[in-house]
Amino acid sequence: MSETTVRGTALRFEDLTVGDATPELVRGPLREPHLMRWSAAIENWHRIHYDQRFATEHDGLPGLLINGSWKQHFLVQSLRRWAEPDGWLRRISFQFRGMDVVGATLTAWGRVTELKEEGGYGIVELEIGIHDQDGNQNTPGTATVVLPLADGPAVPYPYPQP
Amino acid sequence: MPESATRSAGIVTDAMRALMGAKSEKRTAPWPLSEDSLRRFVQAVMEEDPVHWDPTAAEAGRYGSVVATPLFPLHVFRREPGTPDPLDAVSADPGNDGTSGAGGASGSLPPLDLPLKRLLNGGTEAEFFQLAKIGDVVTTQSEYVDISERLNRRGEPMVIVRTRTTYSNQDGATLATITTSLIAR
Repeated sequence: MSETTVRGTALRFEDLTVGDATPELVRGPLREPHLMRWSAAIENWHRIHYDQRFATEHDGLPGLLINGSWKQHFLVQSLRRWAEPDGWLRRISFQFRGMDVVGATLTAWGRVTELKEEGGYGIVELEIGIHDQDGNQNTPGTATVVLPLADGPAVPYPYPQP
Repeated sequence: MPESATRSAGIVTDAMRALMGAKSEKRTAPWPLSEDSLRRFVQAVMEEDPVHWDPTAAEAGRYGSVVATPLFPLHVFRREPGTPDPLDAVSADPGNDGTSGAGGASGSLPPLDLPLKRLLNGGTEAEFFQLAKIGDVVTTQSEYVDISERLNRRGEPMVIVRTRTTYSNQDGATLATITTSLIAR
């Protein structure tokens, strides 16, 4: 896969307007093998993520549960695709409010809520989330991205601690 | 906030509250970050950014060498060989959920012994400073930052525990601070 399909054009703070949407990242439909591969990769043996009978009969769930520990990476991926190579995802926060079960198609999305200049850099506040194929929003959150200004210095890396 | 949310569930004790803010012992991952564990992770999470596997792509940008993703430090603690097999509990009890012995990054904090059965991942708050490189050895230190209880809409008790973990590398540089919320009910 070429660099441009992942990165797109380098994002500039001056190009942004409150209300702008970040490019959506679509994952799915997410089937049993996807969940099994994730559980195996991180060695998480909680049966509700790969044992259909346990999930439905023992725990009374509607199906195999898509791991929160997995979904959260989709949010980070969607924001970094948009902000990098020049921007830095400084902060992210989200809640797992509802269950997503096997078979779902998940879309990570973001929307700019505030733009400000701070210390010579552009600070972008975003509302973020993941919705399923029916529009259910089970993972609401917020994020902060730091971008260089048009005539400003590069965002430092490592990013300084407060 | 509904009225029920303001009523105490009567589960959180003073002894539990006394644990808030106390930092755990530091805990170091049993292995350095390896290319192979990162490869398995990147493929499982369907990450498409080549800075996570291609040295040439990584050297062309700010990272300089192959790096893990921002939230990867959440997954650095793995079971060491020779330790008890958590799946023995599944053999002994068909109703066992498979999570026996799962400690994770905050495993060095004193357990809260909540009299509730089901644990749910409530969410995450993270701040990122740099990404772990291949060969980095991640160390964590955790603290409970908040414990609260309430009754849900069905009048059942639930407890929310927020745990903040600082992830650093072998040079003492902070990679990230990640606060996770665990909902017990």
